[in-house]
Amino acid sequence: MEQKPNPFMPHMATIKSVTDLTPDVKLFNTELDDPAAQSGFNYQPGQFAFLSAYGIGEAPFCLTSAAHRKSGIEFAIRAVGTVTNALHELEEGAKVGIRGPFGNSFPMDEYKGKNIIIIGGGIGMAPLHPVINTIIDCRDDYGNLLIMNGARTPQDLVFKDEFDVWAKAPNTKVELTVDRGDDDWKGRVALIPDVVVDLNPSPEKAIAIICGPPIMIHFTLIKLKDLGFANDQIVTTLEGKMKCGLGKCGRCNVGEKYICVDGPVFTFEQISQFIEQF
Amino acid sequence: MSKFISKDELAFWLDGLMKDRQLIAPVIVDDQTVFKPIMNVDEIVFDYKNTVLSAKEWFFPTTEPLFTICHKDGSTDLAPIDIEKESVVFGIRPCDAAGLKLLDKVFLGEPPDFIYSQRRDKTTLIGLTCLEPAPQCFCGSMGTTPNNADDVDIMLTEVEDGYIVSTVTEKGKALLSDVKLSDSEKSWQEAKCPTELQVKEVPEAMKNCFEDNYWTRVSDRCIHCNICAYVCPVCHCFDIRDCPTSEETERIRCWDSCQSPGFTRAAGGHTPRPTKGSRLRQRFYHKLLYFPERFGDLQCTGCGRCVLSCPVNIDIREIIMDVPKLGAESGAKA
Repeated sequence: MEQKPNPFMPHMATIKSVTDLTPDVKLFNTELDDPAAQSGFNYQPGQFAFLSAYGIGEAPFCLTSAAHRKSGIEFAIRAVGTVTNALHELEEGAKVGIRGPFGNSFPMDEYKGKNIIIIGGGIGMAPLHPVINTIIDCRDDYGNLLIMNGARTPQDLVFKDEFDVWAKAPNTKVELTVDRGDDDWKGRVALIPDVVVDLNPSPEKAIAIICGPPIMIHFTLIKLKDLGFANDQIVTTLEGKMKCGLGKCGRCNVGEKYICVDGPVFTFEQISQFIEQF
Repeated sequence: MSKFISKDELAFWLDGLMKDRQLIAPVIVDDQTVFKPIMNVDEIVFDYKNTVLSAKEWFFPTTEPLFTICHKDGSTDLAPIDIEKESVVFGIRPCDAAGLKLLDKVFLGEPPDFIYSQRRDKTTLIGLTCLEPAPQCFCGSMGTTPNNADDVDIMLTEVEDGYIVSTVTEKGKALLSDVKLSDSEKSWQEAKCPTELQVKEVPEAMKNCFEDNYWTRVSDRCIHCNICAYVCPVCHCFDIRDCPTSEETERIRCWDSCQSPGFTRAAGGHTPRPTKGSRLRQRFYHKLLYFPERFGDLQCTGCGRCVLSCPVNIDIREIIMDVPKLGAESGAKA
């Protein structure tokens, strides 16, 4: 009988580089040790994978890299719990485990020709990052790109190095905002929902993709609806405590949907139909 | 005409099976009947109502390693776990066998759970008809019966001096290949398990009472001891953790329960189900709506263990009876 692989066994992988994105967020660039596994590790923007800190445990993280760039499997990770703190201790060359990719993805083909509004708060930018870079690399396929990125303070903004690259792309705007500025900060000091109102993006032929803390999503959603965005024009990626990624451990359901296999990407039209609301 | 095996022949056959297989059967440990691997056929209890825990733990153990992480000479390697030994579970009741069929939907669905599927492949189930259901039993309402043979490989029914044998599957036939069964005219009084619970409309009714205060009211007395999940033959939620020693780490999985406050608490403290009411509601919505929507069956086989074990008398039978009324009330309001 054909032996099926053990879906709980991760691929052995090596950390190629670790970059500080903020005081508590690091970007891990990794590569699977088995070259065949590495070249077969294909994923789409919005998908996630489990990253193991061996001896501590594993946790799910969105894939921050855009697979088509073939520049390694990347995760942007904020140190906030047991596994993330253990990962932050690891350096270049360390062995980790990667299991995935899991979940659905942002339907990038459906977004072609549309104006895209990206709204990210804090580490919520991580799953939006591959969406942005997919659009940047195929710039003519999409309409206008408006990137709104908010964080608590200027130093908490992730992917700072890429803001200029994104802003220089045609028909692309990058709007940054912080909750509290510092002496060097010349930009906005405002909450994301207010910036949305201020920039007043048109809902016509538009898709808004939003990810951030629940409170930010809650109020931003209200403002987007005020601007005329319909529920099926607003997309997010949900997260929940997960252990398996396979729809078996029973942990990440929102009502009848499992975030791991039915999501994590949902439109607010879909979310509004869930019996349970988070 | 049915096939018959005498008690002595049964003992001889089971004894023979133990030579190259693990035989798991009901035994008494500290006054409680539980499934355990046995060394001697004399240990087997035949006249029990039901075991304290279902046979689930022999396919989905309370705690089991998924693989081992070995740290040696600066390198890290992963060692897989394989289930090599053939097993026989003797004495499984139809409710627990039906429970395994429901667990199959979760664990054998794509991608199949490697360890569970190996255990299922390498285990033969010998069922034992219930001659007298216990007071908490309600399998009759949940689509099975005390002598339902659909989910086992061999079914035995006790009659005078021995057992009527029904060979259900090829796997069962193979296990019986060396046994000479005699023909018998013996019959038995078929047991009746209560069938009065009306379950057909329950999933639809569940859709109308999600916001009802009922769930908070019932949960007031819940002490989230998790026993309902642990005794359930169908509850499948689990945790995965690393258990390190000096040279290696076992990545284990263990049973978990949605009633535990930490079940959905994410790093950073965000918890989508912070109240007992929301957690109790999750348990019953999973069993009576989400599982049926995903797999087509209620996630309950009527074994009655949670009814018997709950220290505060939360009773799924009452909930099944209450839900249509709640649904009707909120439907009337809407």
